[in-house]
Amino acid sequence: MLPTDALAVFADAAAVPVVEFPFESRYLLSTIYVSLYVSVIAVGLSTVASVPLALAVGFSEFRGKRLVTSVINTGMGFPSVVVGLLVLVMVSSQGPLGHLDLVFTKRAMIISQFVLATPPITGIALAAVTGVREDVRDAAFALGGTRADVALTVVKEARYGIATAVLAGFGRAISEVGSVLIVGGNIASANGISKTRTLTTAIRLEARQGRYELALVLGAVLVAVVLVVNAVVVRLGDSKTSAGGGLR
Amino acid sequence: MSLDARGVTHAYADDSGGDDGPGVADGGTDAAPVFRDVSLSVDRGDVVAIIGPSGVGKTTLLRLLGLFAEPNEGTVAVDGTDAWTAAERDRLALRRQVGVVFQEANLFDASVGRNVEYGLRVRREWRERLRDELRGLVGGRDQPEAVREALGVVGLADYVDQDASSLSGGEAQRVAFARALAYDPNYLLLDEPTSDLDPRNTAVIENAVADASDRGIGTVVATHDMNQARRVADQVAVLLGDGVVEVGPTDRVFEDPRDDRTRKFISGELVY
Repeated sequence: MLPTDALAVFADAAAVPVVEFPFESRYLLSTIYVSLYVSVIAVGLSTVASVPLALAVGFSEFRGKRLVTSVINTGMGFPSVVVGLLVLVMVSSQGPLGHLDLVFTKRAMIISQFVLATPPITGIALAAVTGVREDVRDAAFALGGTRADVALTVVKEARYGIATAVLAGFGRAISEVGSVLIVGGNIASANGISKTRTLTTAIRLEARQGRYELALVLGAVLVAVVLVVNAVVVRLGDSKTSAGGGLR
Repeated sequence: MSLDARGVTHAYADDSGGDDGPGVADGGTDAAPVFRDVSLSVDRGDVVAIIGPSGVGKTTLLRLLGLFAEPNEGTVAVDGTDAWTAAERDRLALRRQVGVVFQEANLFDASVGRNVEYGLRVRREWRERLRDELRGLVGGRDQPEAVREALGVVGLADYVDQDASSLSGGEAQRVAFARALAYDPNYLLLDEPTSDLDPRNTAVIENAVADASDRGIGTVVATHDMNQARRVADQVAVLLGDGVVEVGPTDRVFEDPRDDRTRKFISGELVY
């Protein structure tokens, strides 16, 4: 074989990728981005609303407390397609939020994810804060703590339970298909960039079109994202414990 | 300058939150009073022991003195100021003059230093606390000298960085004592502080009570250990039945009780 022929063979071999991906990276990356963007913001907002709600319900006695707790627990199993439908009705042009022009946008998806994530985060956080021994609340109060100090102390003591609540909410949000499909529309632009397509809705689409390899890759990415988020939360909890600190 | 309960009557009630502390009775009036018309006073620098059988209301009386709950009747005053007619902000200031050590240590899930620092921390402005937390995140938080000082009183100055959950029961109770001492209260309320402790840890706590008294802190100790009452207290209040039946100097109450029920209780007879 002449040297020039050998070079041609080498060039041909180099042109063939070692692993051939059945997708464009920008499609995958933009889909991951939309999934994380929608889920993280929805869960963040939900956490901000849920933890004070859990503290308020857990710390106070009022008429109908059992009913409120039941509503929260029932909300954990609320069908996501119904949530999606209700949010769609709200944001549609005839709905009360119609003027905001939210149909098939990430913001509409955030609203539906927020509605879905709030009951599990509130319910699990409520169980966590009510599980903190009353003695600990007494100690915080006796040491001169205000109501806010006592609440903050309870949050700190219940941090693992609250982290579990946030993870459960994140798990529900990022693995959601029905509601985001209804309010988001599963839209990707012609150049392959996802607009409202999430990992879950992309998996559904690719599987329906028979592109199982791509659907499996998307599924693996989804699982990996959830694992990484879990690991980060657990790691944060561990480091705070070893430091013996954090806001209290 | 004294911490006073005057003519206090109180009944257990459902915990309904309200204006009181966490997990304390709001002072309902339907239930039978646990005690009636009780008066007790401790001056700064004095140690008063409340003795009486289990269930007589020693803990409830301490909680009223600690401003956990408003008594159904009567007043609780700190240095002459009626705590329950004072504005909430003023009541917080009065409450912050009183330190409480419970029967259980009730330490937070944090280091010993963070536990002892708690009372100092909640007295700071929120901005200052936030700045301190941020410094802590980058490893630059300073431990206040008062924390080491308070831990030194109970012989645990080297335990600052230790995780509170790794302590023995006796050590944990000593940390709880240091935690109440760190913010330099004017009064200390101790609820059976050594009931679960061995003699060595008991001696440390009793020495710390004497030390606090020397520093001018008025202390009320609820105990069913009459020997301990004799060792630590200047005055003894005997809580029997539904009220305080006798108050007086420790030696006099034990050696020459004026109330027949006191005499029977001290001699070991069942008196309720």
